Amino acid sequence: MSDGPLIVQSDKTLLLEVEHEKADDCRKAIAPFAELERAPEHVHTYRITPLALWNARAAGHDAEQVIDALISHSRYPVPHALLVDIAETMSRYGRLRLEKSDHHGLTLTSSDKAVLEEVLRSKKIQPMLGERIGGDSVAVHPSERGNIKQALLKIGWPAEDLAGYVDGEHHPITLAQDGWQLRPYQQQAADAFWHGGSGVVVLPCGAGKTIVGAAAMAHAQATTLILVTNTVSAHQWKQELLRRTSLTENEIGEYTGTKKEIRPVTIATYQVMTTRRQGTYRHLELFDARDWGLVIYDEVHLLPAPIFRMTADLQARRRVGLTATLVREDGREGDVFSLIGPKRYDAPWKEMENQGWIAPADCVEVRVTLSDTERLAYAMAEAEERYRFCATTPSKLKVTEALVGRHAGEQVLVIGQYIDQLDELAEHLDAPVIKGETRVKERERLFQAFRDKEIQVLVVSKVANFSIDLPEASVAIQVSGTFGSRQEEAQRLGRVLRPKAGGGGARFYSVVSRDTVDQDFAAHRQRFLAEQGYAYQIIDADDVLAGE
Amino acid sequence: MNTDFTDWLRGLGDDRVRALVAARPELITPVPAHVEGLAIRATSPSATGRALDRLDRFSLAVVETLLVMTAEDGPGLAYGELRAAMAASVLPQEAGLLPGALRAAVDELLGLALIFGPESALRLAPGVRDVSESPAGLGPPAVEAFRHHPPERLRELIEAVHLHDAGGEEPVPARLAALLAEGVIVERLLGDVSPQARAALEELAWGPPAGRLPNARREVSVATAQSPIEQLLARGLLAATGEETVVLPREVALVLRGGRVHRDLRPVAPPLEGAERDRSLADRTAAGQAFSFVRTVEELCEMWGVDPPGILRAGGVAVRDLRRTAQLLDLPEWTAALVVEVAYAAGLVAASAPVDGEWLPTTGYDGWRVKATEDRWEVLAAAWLAGDRVPGMVGERDDRDRLLNVLHPELRRPAAAEVRLRTLRVLASAGLGLAPTAASVRERLAFEQPRRRGAYRDRLVDFTLREAEVLGLTGLGVMSGFGRALLPAEASSRSGASRPGSAPAELLAPLLPEPVDHVVLQADLTAVAPGPLTSELGRRLALTADVESKGGATVYRFGDASIRRALDAGSSADDLLAMLEKHSTTPVPQPLRYLVTDVARRHGRIRVGTAGSYVRCDDPSVLDEVMADKRSAPLRLRRLAPTVIASRSSRAMVVDALRALGYSPVAESSEGDVLVTRADAKRTERPPSARPGPGPAGLDPDVVTAAVRAIRAGDEAHLARRRPVAAPDGQVPRSPSTGTVLALQEAIRQGARVWIGYLDSQGHATSRILEPARMEGGYLTAYDETRAAVHRFALHRITGVADVN
Repeated sequence: MSDGPLIVQSDKTLLLEVEHEKADDCRKAIAPFAELERAPEHVHTYRITPLALWNARAAGHDAEQVIDALISHSRYPVPHALLVDIAETMSRYGRLRLEKSDHHGLTLTSSDKAVLEEVLRSKKIQPMLGERIGGDSVAVHPSERGNIKQALLKIGWPAEDLAGYVDGEHHPITLAQDGWQLRPYQQQAADAFWHGGSGVVVLPCGAGKTIVGAAAMAHAQATTLILVTNTVSAHQWKQELLRRTSLTENEIGEYTGTKKEIRPVTIATYQVMTTRRQGTYRHLELFDARDWGLVIYDEVHLLPAPIFRMTADLQARRRVGLTATLVREDGREGDVFSLIGPKRYDAPWKEMENQGWIAPADCVEVRVTLSDTERLAYAMAEAEERYRFCATTPSKLKVTEALVGRHAGEQVLVIGQYIDQLDELAEHLDAPVIKGETRVKERERLFQAFRDKEIQVLVVSKVANFSIDLPEASVAIQVSGTFGSRQEEAQRLGRVLRPKAGGGGARFYSVVSRDTVDQDFAAHRQRFLAEQGYAYQIIDADDVLAGE
Repeated sequence: MNTDFTDWLRGLGDDRVRALVAARPELITPVPAHVEGLAIRATSPSATGRALDRLDRFSLAVVETLLVMTAEDGPGLAYGELRAAMAASVLPQEAGLLPGALRAAVDELLGLALIFGPESALRLAPGVRDVSESPAGLGPPAVEAFRHHPPERLRELIEAVHLHDAGGEEPVPARLAALLAEGVIVERLLGDVSPQARAALEELAWGPPAGRLPNARREVSVATAQSPIEQLLARGLLAATGEETVVLPREVALVLRGGRVHRDLRPVAPPLEGAERDRSLADRTAAGQAFSFVRTVEELCEMWGVDPPGILRAGGVAVRDLRRTAQLLDLPEWTAALVVEVAYAAGLVAASAPVDGEWLPTTGYDGWRVKATEDRWEVLAAAWLAGDRVPGMVGERDDRDRLLNVLHPELRRPAAAEVRLRTLRVLASAGLGLAPTAASVRERLAFEQPRRRGAYRDRLVDFTLREAEVLGLTGLGVMSGFGRALLPAEASSRSGASRPGSAPAELLAPLLPEPVDHVVLQADLTAVAPGPLTSELGRRLALTADVESKGGATVYRFGDASIRRALDAGSSADDLLAMLEKHSTTPVPQPLRYLVTDVARRHGRIRVGTAGSYVRCDDPSVLDEVMADKRSAPLRLRRLAPTVIASRSSRAMVVDALRALGYSPVAESSEGDVLVTRADAKRTERPPSARPGPGPAGLDPDVVTAAVRAIRAGDEAHLARRRPVAAPDGQVPRSPSTGTVLALQEAIRQGARVWIGYLDSQGHATSRILEPARMEGGYLTAYDETRAAVHRFALHRITGVADVN
């Protein structure tokens, strides 16, 4: 019996015991071909998927290495069937290659005739192909480069794209490293992408993905199109680029709902790109507006479906995707793989944390109990009213007050969804409130005062979610929230709670009503945050009030 | 009957006859009356065929060589001549191995009575010739090939073969055959034909010896022959055996073969080829697979216990049910089918009723489940090994185009167990750490049993290799140590039941992951058991949390529902936390602790019970009265509230009883109450005939000895060397039937004579002196000294047994 840190499960998940002395070596060995799924405190879960194996192949690993890594680190014998399956899956990548030929343009070539025959017989793929060239290759319509890769992946024969890229319009971009330095892993990520040509860089929240994007642009030295999730993000990108690179205000354009600037570096939102009028996408011309040398996709795991379709036509341009996770809630990981590219870099999460680049916050869930009359009212409330009812219970006021009291002297943000509740809270806490109707000037003044520590407590509505200049706080208290996707919420949390200059951890409270839907939503959040490695605690409101 | 063979057989020592019948048990089933009977049985086509089937390729080649080189009634071949003939056929690089191999083969064949005679004149046993079609790929001798040719045609052929022979003798096939047997003549004829014709002959030379030709019986002569084939037909180098078939006569083929009967013959089995693996890694892999197989079977039984699939009218499990089972077990369908079949073979699942039944775990399963993993594996592996069912064919159609479902009654093949065992023996014979390729295993089996080849057997071999890996008999294609121990000892080794070395379970046990008694608890409300849990902890955790992932480890997830389940089963929050604390290597995460107490807080706040009826009355004092009355005790009343009493009895009974007490109650229409009962997992009895009978394990040596003794005695009587002896006077004392059987068994073992009382077929009481030989199927075979012959006696007619003296 070996005593390795790894346990291979029959559902192709890998359990890694983090405290094991060989855990680090093992993590390095399996990271190329297994996706980290959950990272709670003791045992991390990785999953082997065909895509992960193909990613490993694209990165130059072969089945022998993968099998060796599993066998040498596994505590128990690895099921033979699993090993066979891995070898079989990996051997499927690269049997087909997309190549550029001087005479025929784009060709699909295979060293394995049987595979090529199978592909030629596929009804979905046939229309994308041109004439047969010799025994082992066939012409491909250049416009189908993306579609054929998607289709080939679907039938289990992912093609290696060796057809190269256009250089695009030259534009000088350099990193302005004054007072800051590219972190080693950011450098590695940018280099790995550049050598691979196109692909995805996976970095945890707060690890500085924007800077990796900037470094990629410095490699490309060409006009760049950046696609981001929303306007706030677009602003942030612009600020960061101005700060970190030689680019000037005039060189960076924003292409959003309000502004339509096309400049050597253009930042567009998914929102505007997917806006349709009379059934057609109005802003497709942006892709052809310039001879882009690089396309950057921020938050690839949120990339909407229409962008995939547009991306299929951009296969000759270099593409880099930035994301914290390859897991998509809609299951379109395959499209990311075939259209944007394989994973090029994956950060050693634990190492980054140890080096202090990222610092997960401490999360505390405070449960308040509804009074008897409230419980009755809650039981009788309409389904759509229930959340509002339990989220705005007056019991939360006292607890919030106590929490603020506990963190006297620290910068505290109180975040909520319902204006009435916020007004009431502001009154109780004697703190200013920022909501939708607050004027920009007033907002800026309050933010500045908060930053200058003239004000220590600030009550904000969900406008804070979209406000880029929201100051940093060491404590955030969420009294009510939206009930959207878990990932969105975690990201918002990440934005508010950056690692502090002093190195101290941040703290995030959510005040939740016991035995209500509020608590159900909290359970989802708890699971997600715990899986991400955040410390999570649940306490009773009574304990807070008692001052424990 | 060939008296030479019988005489030879009679002349053999007792030990050799014993060896013969031990190797060919069918010869004494039933025991023949005398040596002549033994000889007749040994030379019958079916018995000869069975004996030949057991020969390896080299021994068979010896038989074939003798067959080709001797005539039916000819004088036989000396050992030296035989060796010379074989030497011509053997691969040059393995010629050194020939003397040893030939010696062993000849001894084996003599032992099996397939050949007989002294070293100076070895002959084929009668009957061998008749069951050997196309030996060594040779066609029939010319005598037979030309048997049906009309005389004038024969005359033409003889003329064409040998000019000077035209007139004199009879135009019989034998004459032509004699001519063709002359190498010089055939060589000359071959020189006459065109190169194409010669090439056509070369095609047929090494077999198969027959070819198809339209209008094969055409009239051609040397002068009129056009095509190459016609040239051959005209010279008797090919014989037409039918309207459209031609065959190469044996004599011609032998000349073409340069006098050799075989080519590239190997005196020993070809070596196995394959990858070398680390032996301990292979053993561990196999053990891991064995472990997960046992677990899968358990999972299957648990699943079917609660939600059993129905039995199809044709028998077996519906395709849909198999697919669902495979999905739930997370296995490919063929593996799921194997799991089901093995569970069935081991008697763990069975049909609850022949018609409209369900497939349910048996009571045997409950016994199996509590055994140690290694013992459980041994039960499964042994059942798989011995079974004649072929799970690999699930999903195929039989010759009547019926779909073969899993557990279908027709899913059995007589050869399955034998091929399986042979395949595994080949794997076991491979060097330690060698993973033989499927092709080389098939090659080896083809050498060992050349007469039993075929695509069907090759498939069984492939199934076996595939399934052995799933069951964990092999790991990475290498036979595991414990798998090797599972194979029964070779039938030829006479030691009987005791296996060499340790039992498989003992060898497997240390390789299995050791049960762990702790888990790792995490803040995301999961528990990871880093190995198989001790059964007590496993049971408690399974109750408290849901399994999320299985394999070497098990991942459990705690949730509201799972904690509630544990509370329902009678644990308290403190019990649960104490259990978790005790078995966790790390502190219990705060959210988990909170979850348990939070669920416990709400647990049981509302109480639900069952009642047969209720009594309500606005005046509590009346109810006080009812409760106080002793006569109301049988109603089992319970006061729920001042104005409400619940009763376990039915409404009608309560109403009647209250009336009897002098009240005048009115029945109230109820809204009905719900009975909540947990459905128990169902079980069925395993059918008595689920186990296959004993395999070809060989005969008990005592039986063999007794049988040979009886044959000898019978033979002496047959040859009038023994006279009937008179039975003693008086009646044999009656003995109980069990005593009779025991006494006879003892007599067989000791070779003793007994005195029995016997009711003959007319019902007359007789008295005999017997030498019991064999008891089977309710009959005793014995040499009857009073009649001087071997007879069979029905056991139920034996009235008593006593010692002769």
